[in-house]
Amino acid sequence: MKRTLFIIKITFTLLVLALAIFPVILSSHPWPEASRDYLYEHALTDTGAVNTVSSIYLGYRAMDTLGETLVLLVSITGTMGILINLGRESEEEEAVSFSLAPEKRPTNAQRTHLLEVVSSKLGPVVLLFGFYVMLYGHISPGGGFQGGVIVASAIVFLALGTETQTKLTNTNVLGRIEALSFLVLIVAATSGVFFESGFFGNPIKSGSSLSANFIILLNIIIGLKVGTSIAVMCIAMMGGRRGH
Amino acid sequence: MVIERILIFLLALIGFTAIVGAKNIIKKVFGLNILNAAVVLLYILEGSRIGDQAPILGKGVTNMVDPVPQALMLTAIVIGVCVTALALALAVRLYKATGSLEIDTINERLRSEH
Repeated sequence: MKRTLFIIKITFTLLVLALAIFPVILSSHPWPEASRDYLYEHALTDTGAVNTVSSIYLGYRAMDTLGETLVLLVSITGTMGILINLGRESEEEEAVSFSLAPEKRPTNAQRTHLLEVVSSKLGPVVLLFGFYVMLYGHISPGGGFQGGVIVASAIVFLALGTETQTKLTNTNVLGRIEALSFLVLIVAATSGVFFESGFFGNPIKSGSSLSANFIILLNIIIGLKVGTSIAVMCIAMMGGRRGH
Repeated sequence: MVIERILIFLLALIGFTAIVGAKNIIKKVFGLNILNAAVVLLYILEGSRIGDQAPILGKGVTNMVDPVPQALMLTAIVIGVCVTALALALAVRLYKATGSLEIDTINERLRSEH
């Protein structure tokens, strides 16, 4: 009886929602072409980035990106604050985890040979690819956020592997890189003020061949920030706080 | 063009069903992610209606898609990751406090404690 009532409630809710969002999704209202045409004409000379998505989120709407990194920072702070004091009193529950550091892991039951052999060797390759996506974000598909997520997955690979002798999986080191990159982001954003182009303005004169360098710098900073913060979260969730 | 929209609509409904109907907290978080993916796909589809080339300037690019929705969805994806991480951390906390991930059991145990 209770089950039937539940199903009826769910169906009713879905019907109401479907009526609400169906017109939105199926609308055939023509998409405005003004912004596309403006960016097609001016994006390259305004910001120096060939990739117009990069020129929007690091040029025209760079303030938005600052807010986005702030949201990421707050989310990391909240997640770490919630997670950091857990697991101390119940170590035996984590004994089955396959992601702990070798000295904390009593059994290798869930670690397959694939995980043992592949992940630590795949890590550096993925790290290199992440930096490629980050550095070439202004002329090809990619950018700071995408490259940062690839770097984060590379760090997770390194953390899962056994024989990695790297400091990159240490949450203290990652946290310092994150804090430093956020500081550099603020400094880079402020640097436009002294060159008469405003907060988050490009300090290099627009139109010159060097003006894409500011986009590259911001891409690297944001990539490092996103990569390290997501890696910190993943490592904390895996229970492998090796720095402590 | 209509079939993609119907698929996105179904994806949104699946995500909403998981949020409202699923009893497991982890499944609710998955539902949030699916709903987020549906919104992202809808924006990308809308932006791609006025062109058929990637928004990267270069030789031969005359009819590119609108890059503004893509740049906006970059933000949405990052915020989605943040929300997921925070929700999962809260789920871990609830599991440690009550020993269950089912909302009915959690409700019962929290009520019996007070």
